Amino acid sequence: MSGIGKTSRIKSLWVTYYVTGCGGIELLPVITSRFDAERFGIITSATPRQSDVLVVSGFLTTKTLRRIIRTYEQMPDPKYVVALGACTINGGIYWDSYSTADKLELYIPVDVYIAGCMPRPESIFMGFAHLMAMIKGDKADGWKRYHENYKWYKKNQDKALGNSKKWRVRDV
Amino acid sequence: MYEDLKKDIQGKFPAKFEVIRERRIKVSIDKNSVLPFLSYIKSKGFIHLISISCVDWIKENEFEIVYHLWSYTDEIHIMLKTRISRKKPIFETASEIYPVAQTFEREIHEMFGVDFKGNKRQIPFILEDWDDIPPMRKDFDPLKYAKSHFETEEYTEEVWTKVRKIQKFRGEE
Amino acid sequence: MKGFEYFIGPQHLGIPGNFGIIVNVDGDTIVKARANPGYLHRAFEKLMERRLYLSNISVVCRICVFDPDPQEAAYCMAVEEIAKIEVPERAKWIRTMILEFARISSHLIYLGSLTSALGLYTVMQWALTDRDYILDLLEMITGGRVYHIFMQPGGVRRDLPEGFKEKAKKVLDSLKSRLSDYYNLIFDNNIFVHRTRGVGVLDPEWALSMGVTGPNLRACGYKIDVRKDDPYLAYPELDFEVPVLEDCDMYDRAMLRMKEIEQSIRILEQILDRIPDGSVWKPVPNPINWEVPKGESFVRVESARGEVAYYMVSDGEDKPYRVNVRGPSITHGILVLEKVLEGQRLADISPIVFSLDVCAPSIDR
Repeated sequence: MSGIGKTSRIKSLWVTYYVTGCGGIELLPVITSRFDAERFGIITSATPRQSDVLVVSGFLTTKTLRRIIRTYEQMPDPKYVVALGACTINGGIYWDSYSTADKLELYIPVDVYIAGCMPRPESIFMGFAHLMAMIKGDKADGWKRYHENYKWYKKNQDKALGNSKKWRVRDV
Repeated sequence: MYEDLKKDIQGKFPAKFEVIRERRIKVSIDKNSVLPFLSYIKSKGFIHLISISCVDWIKENEFEIVYHLWSYTDEIHIMLKTRISRKKPIFETASEIYPVAQTFEREIHEMFGVDFKGNKRQIPFILEDWDDIPPMRKDFDPLKYAKSHFETEEYTEEVWTKVRKIQKFRGEE
Repeated sequence: MKGFEYFIGPQHLGIPGNFGIIVNVDGDTIVKARANPGYLHRAFEKLMERRLYLSNISVVCRICVFDPDPQEAAYCMAVEEIAKIEVPERAKWIRTMILEFARISSHLIYLGSLTSALGLYTVMQWALTDRDYILDLLEMITGGRVYHIFMQPGGVRRDLPEGFKEKAKKVLDSLKSRLSDYYNLIFDNNIFVHRTRGVGVLDPEWALSMGVTGPNLRACGYKIDVRKDDPYLAYPELDFEVPVLEDCDMYDRAMLRMKEIEQSIRILEQILDRIPDGSVWKPVPNPINWEVPKGESFVRVESARGEVAYYMVSDGEDKPYRVNVRGPSITHGILVLEKVLEGQRLADISPIVFSLDVCAPSIDR
C-alpha cells in the first residue's frame, strides 16, 4: 500500500453497526455529541459490504457466532476486527456457561483487544488510536492470516458450532 | 385475614391454604384439579397471570409447577403449586383459559422437557441445534459441556512473560 | 403463500440490540410475522445456582442492559424476605433514589431511539448528552457508570459523599429547563404527528388479557402501577401521581414517558430534601459462609419498561436452589408484537418495535 493510500484509510474508518452484546451500551455515547467520534472520521455504516472495521462488543453465544462469521466473510479486503471487553479474551464472567464461546482468536483473526467490563469511552478512543498506528506500520494483517490458515479456523468453527453444512449454506 | 376467600376455595376443592403475610397467599392442590381451579379463580377477578415456573426436586423424583396469579381489584397474590412425576412428565395446557401461558409453557418444554398436551407451538424458542438432555435439569453439568466444546487458555509462566513484554512495549510508545 | 419472506435480522439499524423478526409480505403489507429471540442466551438461571448469595449480585445486574438497577433491588428484596432481615430507613431512601435515576436515563434512550427511527436525528444527540450528566452523578455515589453493584442484602454499600446534594440539584434544574425544547421539537412537529397518530394501536381489553404491563398499559387508559398497588421501599411516604392517557397509539406512548420524567424529577427533589439520618447497612452474620434458612419468596418491582418479578427457593445451603426471573419483554416482544405487526407497512416495522420498548436481553436471560 502506498503512503497516500494508507493516510486516506486511517482518516476514514467506517464501522459496521452490529451491537452483539453488553458492550454496545457504551458505543452509543461514543458516536454522539459528548465524546464525538466523527471528528476522527469514524461513522457507522448500515451494511457490512461498505465498511472497514467490525467491532465485536461483548460475549459470544453460539447462535450469534454463526452470524458474526458470515458478516465477517461478507466484508471486502482489507478489513480489521476490534474486540471489546473481557469476555472475548478468555471467557470473562461467563466462563462456565454452556452457551458462550471463550476465545475469539480461534474463530476469526483479531487485531486489537480493549480490556474492561465495560471499557469507558476514553479507552475505546485509545484502542482506535492504537489501530491507526498499526495500519501505518503495516502490522494490521488479520485478513491475510485468515486466507493463509483457513483450514485451522474452519476446524475450530466446526468443533464449537456443529454440523457445517447446515449453517454455511444460504437460507433464502 | 382473607377468611371469606379461604372458605370459598376450601368448599369447592381439596386444597391446602396458607396466608404468609399481607397480600401473599399460598395454595397447594393435586394435579387433576388444576384446570377447574384456574377457570373458577379467573371468574373471581384474578385475571393477570404473571408467570409459570418449574422446580426440579431430584431427590424426591418430582417436578413442581407453580402458577403466579394477581387480582387488580382485590390486590392479592396467589401462588398455586402442584407436583407431577419426573420419569414421565406430561401435563395439560392452560392456554385456553389464559392465552399468555403459551410462551411460558414453550420455555418450560425446552428447558426441562415437560410435554404440555394441547399447546400447538412447542418448537425451539431460545436454543438452536441442541443435542443433549434439557439443560436446566439438576443432573446436567454445564462446566463439563463447556470444556468439551470450547477451548480456553490456562495462565502458565510462558503466557505471563509474553504479557509482560507487551506491557513494556506499550509503556515506551 | 405468494410473496416474499424477509429476515429482519440481528445486524440492522432499526432493531434495538440483538433480536430477529421473520416477516412474510404481499406487496407492501405484512401478512404474518414471527419473533426470533435467543441471540443473547447466557443461562443466568443455571449460573446463579453455582455461586454464593453475595457473588450473585455482580451477575444479576447484567440481565437487562438498559436499566440494571431494578434487577439488583428485586434480588436483594427476595433474599431479605426469606432470611427475615430488616433494612434501615436511610438505606431504603437511597435505593429509591437510584431507581428513579435509572428510570429517567432509560426514558431518555427511548426518546432518542424512537425519533431516529423516524428520521429526526437531532433528538438522539440531545438525549444521550443529558443522560451522561446523570451517569456522572451515579458514578459519584457508586463508582461505576453502567453496572453499579451497589445494593446488597441488608442495605447499601456506603454512604453518600460530600457535596452530592448541591450537584444533584444543579443537574435536575438544568434538565427541567430543557424539557420545553423536547416538547417543541417532537410533539408539535407535523411529520411526527402524521406518522404516529393511529399507527400501532393496541385494543385495551385485549392488552389487559395478554399480560401487557408498565407504561404501555397506562397509555390504554388503566391506572395500574406496582408502586401504588403493592408498595415497597420508601414509596408509601412520597407524594406523586400516576399519569394516564386514552388512545393507545405510538403518539400517546411517547407522550406518557415525557410525563413520567416530570414525575420522577418531582420524587427526586422530595428525597433530597427529606432523607432521614442513620446507618446504611445492617451486618449479616459471616457473609462469606452465610446459610439462608429454608423457604421461598416472590417480589415485584416496577422498572422503566414494565413489571419485573423474582421467584426464589432456598434449601438451607449457601447457594440458591432455584431463581426464576420474569422480565417485562417476554410478553411485549413475542405475542403482542406478532399481532400488532399484521396489516402494517414495511417501513413501519422499526418504529413499532422501538415504541413497544422491547429489551432483548431480558427475554433470553
